[in-house]
Amino acid sequence: MELAIQLTVQGLIIGCSYALIAIGLTMIFGLMDIANFAHGEFYVLGSYFAFTVAKMFTLFESVIANYFLGFIVGTFATIGFGVILDRLIFKRLRGEPLLTATMATIGLSIFLANSIQAIWGHWPRQMPSPFGLDPFIWGPVVMPPVRLFVLVVTGLCIAIFHFLLRHTRLGKAVRATFQNRESAALVGIEIDRVYRWSFATGAGMAAIAGIMLATFMPMDPVSGGFATLKAFIVVILGGMGTFVGAIVAGLGLGVMEALGGGFIASDYKDGFGFLFLILFLLFRPQGIFGEE
Amino acid sequence: MKVSRIFGGLVLTALLLAIPWIVPDDYILHLIIYAGFFVMLASGLNLLVGYMGQLSLGHGAFWGLGAYCSALLALKQGWPFWLGLPAGGLLAAVFAILLGRLILKVRGHRFVIITLAFQIIIQLVHYNWIGLTDGQNGLAGVPSPTLEIPGVGKIDFFSKTNFYYLILVFCVITVYVCYRVANSRVGRALEAIRENEPLAESVGVSAFRYSMIAFVLGAFFAGLAGSLYAHYTRYISPDVFDFLHIVEMLTMVLLGGRATILGPVIGALIFTGLPEALRFVPNPFWGLSWAPGHLVTSKALPAELQLMVFGLILLLGVVYMPEGIVPWVRKRFGRRPVAQAGEEAHPE
Repeated sequence: MELAIQLTVQGLIIGCSYALIAIGLTMIFGLMDIANFAHGEFYVLGSYFAFTVAKMFTLFESVIANYFLGFIVGTFATIGFGVILDRLIFKRLRGEPLLTATMATIGLSIFLANSIQAIWGHWPRQMPSPFGLDPFIWGPVVMPPVRLFVLVVTGLCIAIFHFLLRHTRLGKAVRATFQNRESAALVGIEIDRVYRWSFATGAGMAAIAGIMLATFMPMDPVSGGFATLKAFIVVILGGMGTFVGAIVAGLGLGVMEALGGGFIASDYKDGFGFLFLILFLLFRPQGIFGEE
Repeated sequence: MKVSRIFGGLVLTALLLAIPWIVPDDYILHLIIYAGFFVMLASGLNLLVGYMGQLSLGHGAFWGLGAYCSALLALKQGWPFWLGLPAGGLLAAVFAILLGRLILKVRGHRFVIITLAFQIIIQLVHYNWIGLTDGQNGLAGVPSPTLEIPGVGKIDFFSKTNFYYLILVFCVITVYVCYRVANSRVGRALEAIRENEPLAESVGVSAFRYSMIAFVLGAFFAGLAGSLYAHYTRYISPDVFDFLHIVEMLTMVLLGGRATILGPVIGALIFTGLPEALRFVPNPFWGLSWAPGHLVTSKALPAELQLMVFGLILLLGVVYMPEGIVPWVRKRFGRRPVAQAGEEAHPE
């Protein structure tokens, strides 16, 4: 039982990153109707931007200050990169057939993943961890500070995202475009602006996931492809194009993988998600929260 | 016109037969053989991706299944190549039928992701079922094919020249079958489904049935290619399931010219040759130092720069030349008007 609780907590942490990556993917998916295979590269890029600031520049004495400067710079640099990519590439892909758009993003993902290797080297890197190792203990739950940090920041991100979506003009425009592109354009919403900023926000969230995970996992320049895949599973399980679905399915997938890896077979840990995907397709093709 | 076509055919046949004598060294012949595997893979994939317009990312799984099936039968059961080869193809086809029953009713993005999920599950099994596949170590010592012809003697396909003729025969068979299928009721049905599925269904064209035919046929050829591949390289590992291989196959189909017979063939030749051509490009970073202690010493273009070029070509290719090379060349230089090959109705 204690093991199960511990695994669940661990799964939630990984699930947080799945959810953060999947929110951006859902947004690009729902708005532009593009399956962005390069989305996981934002997750890697963000962590490498932060790494560059925190480890290579080291402006401050304290590791914590360096890390948080890296966190902020990495996130905003990735958002800026997202804006540039949107201008250069994704603007052209909107309205293209699925085949073209998907293969173009696959090409982009290969290009980006290998650019990262060319710039930062193909060996894994380790971000200096800003947190101590003494865990917080509540009954059966043992939680190192890093993991608590991931939980809190993910909660904050989702709350901010929710606020932006609900209570700002741009958020309103995003929701309207999400529901119906043509009608939104008809009532004078600047669609291109909506696309640009939602794309960049999605990139930023993936970057935050990458920067947080880098504190307790080595950074692997080729992990972007796998992150994309996991996020796609989450998007489909959650029911394509619902944010609540992406968050719940993201956390759920993390927990499921941790429990399955701990109790059934650790070698097949990464396979459970794909298996669930096929099972869902058989019995509930519209996902958890989707409507057909 | 007629005479020139016959003449052209004869020249092409003579050229294909003479290739082992034309190419200067063994390595280029090796690349041509490699391109042969991809001709089989891309041509089969073209049925589903080109003619029906469904993007499958699971084709590499069938290739790997064929390779592992044939290699394991040869190594553990001592089956001869000529039984292992059809077994590889059939196993891939059986998997395609089972998978197809689950997924061929799905369309669009879901189809893309689910075919990829299938591929990854198969790959995980091959990595982790150590008792059968020996995991990451792979299977070594797969025997080369031999052929006994009474009265002629034994032909050993260990030599590259002999294997070239073997793969040539299979490429010709694959391309011919794809050509016949594409120009039959099946091909026309697939194109009808691609252009307008509800309309095609309403006149009685069963999308499920025809997509199953395309899917299973493509998987069968991929299985055969896998078996040939295993007996050619004589060593296979779960790396045959690498995502990059699927992207290569799709690039060959899309940039070669989808829904054309020649497109995947030309695509296979170009994109097998491309990485080799890139090797002669000098490394622009040679002698530079990124970080202290990391001096760039390789004069050849490193792998990541090669792949950057490949990714860029794929990205720019599908955006700026969406119809692919073969239809583009035909449009530019051809006399005959091309049938509506790569052109798809925009979904607006």
